[in-house]
Amino acid sequence: MDTQSVTQAEAAENPLAEGLELRRRPEPSVLTIFGASGDLTRRKIFPALYALAFRELLPEHFAILGVARSAMANEDFVAAMEAAVREFARDEFKPDVWESLASRTRYAATEFADEEGEDRVARCLRELDEDFGTQGNRVYYLAVPPDAMPKLVEELGERRTTSGWTRLIVEKPFGHDLESARELNELLRRRFSEDEVFRIDHYLGKDTVQNLLALRFANGIFEPVWSRHFIDHVQITVAESIGIENRANFYERAGAIRDVFQNHLLQLVALTAMEPPIDFSAEAVRNEKLKVLKALGRPGPGEVVRGQYRPGFIEGLPVPGYREEERVAPDSDTETFVAAKLRVDNWRWAGTPFYVRTGKRLPRRETTIAIQFQRVPHSLFEDASELRPNLLIAHIQPNEGVSLAIGAKVPGEGMRVRTVHMDFLYGGSFRTGLPEAYERLILDAMLGDATLFTRSDEIEEQWELVDAVIARWRRDRPSFPNYAAGTWGPDAAQELVEWHR
Amino acid sequence: MASVAHVEEWTDACASVAEIEAALADLRSAHAHGGEPDLMTSVLTHIAWVPPEWQEAATETLSGMGERHPSRTLLLFPQPGDSDELAARVLLECYDVAGLEQHLCSEVVELRLQGARAEAPASIVVPLLLPDLPVFLRWRGRPDFGSPVVEQLLGIVDRLVVDSSEWDDVPAAYRELKLLFDRVVASDIAWRRTLPWRRALASAWPELPDRLTGPPAETALVTGWLRSRAGIDVATERADELPMRDDQDPSDVLSDELDVFVRDRVYEAAVSAARPEDRP
Repeated sequence: MDTQSVTQAEAAENPLAEGLELRRRPEPSVLTIFGASGDLTRRKIFPALYALAFRELLPEHFAILGVARSAMANEDFVAAMEAAVREFARDEFKPDVWESLASRTRYAATEFADEEGEDRVARCLRELDEDFGTQGNRVYYLAVPPDAMPKLVEELGERRTTSGWTRLIVEKPFGHDLESARELNELLRRRFSEDEVFRIDHYLGKDTVQNLLALRFANGIFEPVWSRHFIDHVQITVAESIGIENRANFYERAGAIRDVFQNHLLQLVALTAMEPPIDFSAEAVRNEKLKVLKALGRPGPGEVVRGQYRPGFIEGLPVPGYREEERVAPDSDTETFVAAKLRVDNWRWAGTPFYVRTGKRLPRRETTIAIQFQRVPHSLFEDASELRPNLLIAHIQPNEGVSLAIGAKVPGEGMRVRTVHMDFLYGGSFRTGLPEAYERLILDAMLGDATLFTRSDEIEEQWELVDAVIARWRRDRPSFPNYAAGTWGPDAAQELVEWHR
Repeated sequence: MASVAHVEEWTDACASVAEIEAALADLRSAHAHGGEPDLMTSVLTHIAWVPPEWQEAATETLSGMGERHPSRTLLLFPQPGDSDELAARVLLECYDVAGLEQHLCSEVVELRLQGARAEAPASIVVPLLLPDLPVFLRWRGRPDFGSPVVEQLLGIVDRLVVDSSEWDDVPAAYRELKLLFDRVVASDIAWRRTLPWRRALASAWPELPDRLTGPPAETALVTGWLRSRAGIDVATERADELPMRDDQDPSDVLSDELDVFVRDRVYEAAVSAARPEDRP
């Protein structure tokens, strides 16, 4: 969102403001990125900051401080970020836009784990305040490994400024299990208030995920049929064709269930199943999501399928199996695929399963939410075998849009009916490019709007379910690998849905 | 921006509406890309009334518009003369879209309304409107408010888009324009062009200049806006350029207007408050 209408209060103060769609611009601040030498900063955070600068959405008084362990001169960091912006930004590279960002960017090489490192960061921030008029306002972006998080939060809390506000953007993974998530939440609560903490699940920043809310709550035709009375089941897929790339250290400990299932998948379930919030405020939306997460039943033994890929082919090229990936144990039992049949035990959804799956090295990158409606109670037409139930598919990525499968008469004699698709494609109807999720989320955090961030109680509910699944997994050893790279996962995952049919 | 993948064309110097409809259907079904039919994603019907003196400018502005607003565009070229023919050129413009195998197509129907046909455009246009989608009418030049042709077309559209900087008699003409506000949603590209100027003035509030300098239409609108919003009268001075503007080309500005569907009460108040003495 680039602009917003002014509020009634603002219009009352300034009679000229009404209807001008003044741009949302945050207050002055320094954005400090911990983990600044990492891939996330290069691929996502700096390209997002460039996109915001490109659209003049950053505050006039603004600066960036990168903090990481890697020894690097300021100029080298800026040069690395310029290369990253040239490679990953969605907008053309404009030297003047980049210069406006580069000139406000500093780098501090420190572990931030001792007095000296902390002092150096504090000194840098004070200098930036003086140089750029950022008034002591702080946005800390914690893009660090989970084990570095507690110490960092502790120190930031201890050294928080008294002259301005503080906001923390906390990257996933948020904990490793329920206990560690609770500990981290507790630590955050001791040092910061809930409205100062912005737990990122970047899926929530995607326009197409937000469009799910528009689809449900801005269209009179869908919500009345959005329940067990009309919907047979829901399938949510977060599929990746890539492997683990350079993340073996993390992935070996996390697996698909912690990497994607615990956060993105469960958030998509919550958004799909939630009741209409009373408004689009952070608390109202998050309250409704939380109710869904609380209503999720623990899946039974046959209702979760895990998998690990063996060598196979992606787009015609051979790819190694998971156990052959660099820095992965040759006998690793880490799952690269999870599918589950989830129940939302509430009035609206009782008896309507939510099938969810996520995995690495699947045939293609695809995130979809497919709502399958019930079949017609009685078929009037000849040869209805080709007629499938109505299916509403929200394509989150790629081919962003929505399609609806309906039955239509095949031209000619007789009354043969076939399934055809009505498609709404974002690229077809709106010719402005979709913003990257990180642009929206960084801007929202700077503005203090937490609607698209996950609250502590949501995170804990998500972990509770995941811990229950993992506890069952600990009791037996899986027979991995059990699916070939380039296929849709183990047969058992397909059977989950087949049994339902 | 996407590039044009292919253009299908049909012309007839003496066409009927039924033939035009058939041609549209034929062009859509005739071309398939790699076995996949092209995509049609219409969001509106866009009518443009283009008198001869505006033909060149209109063609330039509309170039690529179909790509930005997948729609059916009906270009109406009134042509005086003895003949009462309806000459038609139907184009299916298909574009490459990143990430899609299929092309995305828009329809452009150029209609030369000759002789008496130019007196009854609505009867030609109505059968060609896309059902259940908004209808925008871009009127090039100064509409002859109250004339049968204007009245007919206003009766079938949801929104009128004008550019009052194309009019020689602003702000006097605003008296006629404001009479339409309860009948049709009106928007003015001149008003859109003043957005950076108005933003700057709003940001400076309550410090305002005592004189506004700019082209006649835009200056009169901003003067009317200050009067209607804040009860402030300021003097005006003529200049060819706006004091501030964004770098949008005419296509971008029209494109923005086609995204707006609701009444702009602030604009209506500004038009209603503009006075003859506001003309710089």
